[in-house]
Amino acid sequence: MNEHVIYQIPLYLDNELQGDEQRLFEAHINACASCWAALEYERRLILAIHQARPLYSTPEGLREKIEQILQNHQPISKRFSSRTRRVFVAIVVVLGLILAWFIARPTHIPLVRPSEFALVAVDTHQRYTRNQLPLEVISSSPEEISTWFAGKLPFNLKLPNYPEDLNQSKPYEIVGARLIGFKQDYAAHVVYRLHNRPISLVVTSETIAQPAGGEKIPWQGLLFHFDVINGWKVLTWSDKGLTYALVSDFEEHGQASCVVCHSGGQDQHKFEGLKFR
Amino acid sequence: MIGQGEDKEGQKSIEQAILEYVEALYGYAMSLARNPVEAEDLVQETYLRAIKGARRSMPTGDLKAWLFTILRNIWINQRRRAQGSELLLGIDIEGLESESEWTAKNQQRPDTIFEQGLLRENIRIALESLPEAFREVIVLRCMEGFSYSQIAEILGCPVGTVMSRINRARAELRRRLNK
Ligand SMILES: [Zn+2]
Repeated sequence: MNEHVIYQIPLYLDNELQGDEQRLFEAHINACASCWAALEYERRLILAIHQARPLYSTPEGLREKIEQILQNHQPISKRFSSRTRRVFVAIVVVLGLILAWFIARPTHIPLVRPSEFALVAVDTHQRYTRNQLPLEVISSSPEEISTWFAGKLPFNLKLPNYPEDLNQSKPYEIVGARLIGFKQDYAAHVVYRLHNRPISLVVTSETIAQPAGGEKIPWQGLLFHFDVINGWKVLTWSDKGLTYALVSDFEEHGQASCVVCHSGGQDQHKFEGLKFR
Repeated sequence: MIGQGEDKEGQKSIEQAILEYVEALYGYAMSLARNPVEAEDLVQETYLRAIKGARRSMPTGDLKAWLFTILRNIWINQRRRAQGSELLLGIDIEGLESESEWTAKNQQRPDTIFEQGLLRENIRIALESLPEAFREVIVLRCMEGFSYSQIAEILGCPVGTVMSRINRARAELRRRLNK
């Protein structure tokens, strides 16, 4: 019997083993009767504990009391909606073009929870800025970073290399990247820097994450979802099978961060739609 | 917003979303306080803080984990005030044998436990007899299904600590169930 595998049984059952560790564990379990029996015992114990839920019945009336608490406080959505409305009014002033679309929108915009992907992207960015998430590859070359990601992601990631015009100086720099876990799979986290402020680009496959929630901004044939989470601006969208999240602390909708993929002057007009003033 | 149902996009308001966790939070509160009145107060206070907190900034991670973290912080602060000193859950883990109040209702051999079906009552009694820090991680992991990293966030401690605490807690629970 292998003690090491016995020790890993709880980790395995809690889905905390990954990659080689998991494969080696499973290979051992399949070959070793006593470890298999121990695994089965633990599995049944965990199941039994789970099935014992709830251990306590919630007192009658508690739910109603909580509903009362929530009702007595100004709904969060109302406060957010008034702010969101200001945002939209401003867009109209600048563009005028989307006036019809704006009128068609309901004035009460309920608070829509940001997507899990947006939350993960913001969390990743926040951890990076607090030095809690070291980058795995440090490079200012988009080619080098794309090559580093090759084979590590369930999709192909090619980072754009701007500017295409050599006379133009790069307004931003790439800092580096790392892999992050998302929904049993991986996503790419690429860090840029613009005017010394960090920008995170998180990319995953559209099959794993779809943008949702927040304020919807249709633009250039794409649908952007905009949220402010913990003070960070996050724009999420899907394009050609990939889903992106761009996190920064830039002004307005954070669209200045879009420059990491579109620094060319000819591209700048593309973000006018995300502006308001 | 309460009782308004989902909006057209199938998205819930935050009030509706957090209302889903009343029962789970009460279970957690009971596992900490072991007193229905205190547990109820804890849950109500959690919602009050949550609704105020959400107005300042939206929680970044999982809503459920966020609520559990709030509840735990309230509990820790209350205990600190009551005891007038720094208090950390887990200090009572050592010396398990001496403080065990648990007595086995059914003296069962390990291999017969499951055959007879593990009674909810047995599990409840065994769990209640565990030291608070152990009881807490069993509830968070086995009952509420939080991942190790979510538990680490709720407890405000490293994942390695969570891992070893869960292992020791399960071993202790197993021992008490098999007594
Ligand atoms: Zn073995």
